[in-house]
Amino acid sequence: MFSDVSAQKNGPSLLCSPASEEQGPTFERISLPYELYSDRYRVGQRSFSRQYAHIYAARLMQMRPLLAERAQQKWGSNVLIKKLCDLEPGEQCCIVGTLFKRMELQPSILKEISEEHNLLPQPARAKYISEADELILEDELQRIKLEGKFDKDKCVTGSVVAIYGAEKNDGKFTVEDFCMADLPLQTPRPALSSDRFVLLASGLGLGGHNADSMLGLQLLVDMVTGQLGDTGEQSGAAAISRVLLAGNLLSQNTQDKDASTKAKYLTKKTQAGSVEAIRVLDELLLQLVASVPVDVMPGQYDPTNYTLPQQPLHPCMFPLSSAYNTLQLVSNPFEASIDGVRFLGTSGQNVCDIQRYSSMDSHLEILEETLQLRHLAPTAPDTLGCYPFYQKDPFILEECPHVYFSGNAPTFESKLIKGPDGQEVLLVTIPEFSSTQTACLVNLRTLQCEPICFTAFSADKDEENEMNISH
Amino acid sequence: MDELYLDNIDEFVNDHNKIVTYKSLSLTLGVHVNTAKQMLYHYLEHKRKESSPQLHATYLVTGKFVDNGQTCHRVSIVREDQLEDFKSKMSLIVSVHVYSVQKALLKDSGPLYSVDYDAVKDHLQNCSKYSAIQCPGAVPVSSLERQQALNAPNPPQSEPGNSGTNRETNTTSKAHPRPQKGIMGMFSKKSAVKSQNTSEEVKPEQKDEPAVVDSAKNKPAAKANPMMNFFGSQTAKKSVKAVKEEADQTSERKSPQPCEKSDGAAVQHQKDPRSKTKRAEDEDSEEDKMDKKKRRRIKKPEPDSSDEEVVPDSPPPQEALTRERSPKKETETVQPSNSHSGVKVRKRRRVLKSRTYLDADGCMVTEKGFESESYSESEEDFRAPKAAQREPFKAKANPGSKEDDKKSQKKAPASSNKGGKQASIMGFFQKK
Repeated sequence: MFSDVSAQKNGPSLLCSPASEEQGPTFERISLPYELYSDRYRVGQRSFSRQYAHIYAARLMQMRPLLAERAQQKWGSNVLIKKLCDLEPGEQCCIVGTLFKRMELQPSILKEISEEHNLLPQPARAKYISEADELILEDELQRIKLEGKFDKDKCVTGSVVAIYGAEKNDGKFTVEDFCMADLPLQTPRPALSSDRFVLLASGLGLGGHNADSMLGLQLLVDMVTGQLGDTGEQSGAAAISRVLLAGNLLSQNTQDKDASTKAKYLTKKTQAGSVEAIRVLDELLLQLVASVPVDVMPGQYDPTNYTLPQQPLHPCMFPLSSAYNTLQLVSNPFEASIDGVRFLGTSGQNVCDIQRYSSMDSHLEILEETLQLRHLAPTAPDTLGCYPFYQKDPFILEECPHVYFSGNAPTFESKLIKGPDGQEVLLVTIPEFSSTQTACLVNLRTLQCEPICFTAFSADKDEENEMNISH
Repeated sequence: MDELYLDNIDEFVNDHNKIVTYKSLSLTLGVHVNTAKQMLYHYLEHKRKESSPQLHATYLVTGKFVDNGQTCHRVSIVREDQLEDFKSKMSLIVSVHVYSVQKALLKDSGPLYSVDYDAVKDHLQNCSKYSAIQCPGAVPVSSLERQQALNAPNPPQSEPGNSGTNRETNTTSKAHPRPQKGIMGMFSKKSAVKSQNTSEEVKPEQKDEPAVVDSAKNKPAAKANPMMNFFGSQTAKKSVKAVKEEADQTSERKSPQPCEKSDGAAVQHQKDPRSKTKRAEDEDSEEDKMDKKKRRRIKKPEPDSSDEEVVPDSPPPQEALTRERSPKKETETVQPSNSHSGVKVRKRRRVLKSRTYLDADGCMVTEKGFESESYSESEEDFRAPKAAQREPFKAKANPGSKEDDKKSQKKAPASSNKGGKQASIMGFFQKK
């Protein structure tokens, strides 16, 4: 734990008069080998004139052999794996395909603008699932309705699964069992000798109306740059090799929609909210990059493209901090290897989307589910904006990460899971800093994650005690 | 150690009534942060012994905190009166030190943030100088180095349409031979986006000389980008917007500063279109139509990209378009007559004429031969039938007149077809 590490290295207390002329001790920031693997998430020339169906085709094509293998492992090597067009009624077999969940409450633009329905636009709901949802399995040529004993509320559209059962006479497929692609293979991580940390934070929410989080943010920066705390704390902070900001650096308030709805003469002189917020972010990043390498991922409210994969923020927005080569502007999703430990994660849009269209509520549970499905964002492109890929689906996990995270969660949660082939993955849901004042520290040696929370006092004495949010 | 710092802190706290945090003290006095914390503690003790007017302090406590089974590392700012209470709640205390000293009792920790913010803002470039951790890898890359790194692998590509713009950029950047390489680097498609980044770096660091380079570079970048889209690259689309914003910023910053002569004209150009937005927009739309026409001819499969490109264009690339006009007009004159009608230009052409001269013996000799003569379109009609029968004469090979021949031959069949064309009224005024 970070606290233990820092306590061990503690020097003399600072509650004393300054000793002679000596300057305080300086520690050197630990520098670890770093490699970025996010090339597959970079979209070069973009053309949106393609249909989205190609992603599904590519996805199925890529996942079919993996699922066939898993099916044979689970139900015996002589299990029949058939295509939907070859199905015969009454025959026990296994089919592989993409799930589609037909939800009545799913917002459909066609229904909204259709005059015969005469519907008013639906208000945004927290969840779009209902009792009457139907699950359908699609493969390259056909689709078939599914029924049977499975929790349809947990499934989401776009997941590729293998289903074992039989087709009934009425044309529906009865499900007896199903399996997912499960975790891919993992290269074992190297054994490290000393404690090294990576700080994960997200949801800084700059430009928002909540000014309380700014002091917390300043404390975070001070701690990481080694200005806060005793010598023990500072030497512990020197072991923080990297800072990763996982999205939503700007608050939702900066997304000013007035410009499109208000008259031009009213909005001509007003500056967008994000301009000032980016300036504040630049100054904050300058303080950080002068001392530690930083990876900045864009999020839902950041000035970059909306569809996944989000491209890195442009360095022209950060004139002060982009002068330093420790600033790395990376894409969302993000994949890199820090000292041999593989990190993979997103800013949380994929998890939030699954949360809306399934019964799962815990971000950690959803994270585990995506890992089991071997796909970062199964709901893309159905309900989550996505670029129309056609040759391959870059969201399919090819190598199992050691640390798998998602940003902007309501609370901090972490879990270490084991895979069928001996994989070990640390799942982390990074809490939103603007509301929880909490960031996470991942220890690369032990693969453990610890939250750090920053508190201050305010007029209400009681608030202090309730600051720390636990699950 | 001198006790001067005690007086300094005293001055801040009592006379100016300010809040002194360890960070602002360290930045102001130029000492290590830990020393600053100790100084604050010393000052506090000192003043308390003297029993002078009441001082308040806030402390920073960090340590392990267990909350409902979840352990976390907690970093908190607490008031002095809450300190002991807080320390007892923590399961392991890692550090405690003085965070700030002030005269008034703080109810809210908000002001602490603003003090730190101001202190950091004043010392933005060396905010980590006095911290306890130094990172050897965090070195600001100088803007010139970046530029060199980018321009070296990308040789400039020459594009035919850029000849006009090249002339302009060369004149403005004559005084700066080095950055001219940077400008030429602009014209290569790949480095366009990156070089705008470099010009961004240049901006905040030095203000006068590189700023001139900056504006000179920005303008060719602004011009180059519509030209590049003209010739087919779509990736420069985003960079146009970035350049536009950047160019806006540079022009704003330029206005209060004194500009050099070579730059003055450039700045003026940038400011003028911005002030005359209406006219600029009209011109813009006219240019856009011309652009669209041009683009459709040269590259058909990208009509939608050129549309998008044309709409967000605003004052800075406006200049590019006005400059584009000149090369376009040149090309227009060279084109055959199916371009815009009514453009009357005096041309040269060969005419059968008789020359009389005195030869060596003193005799007068009269010879018939072809000579160049300038004429205009209206007269051309009368000569049309004769022009069709004329052969090209080799004697005085004038490239202009050769073209005229081709033109006149082309025009001849065209005009001879319209046999019954009415003589234009200008014929009265031209024949002398």
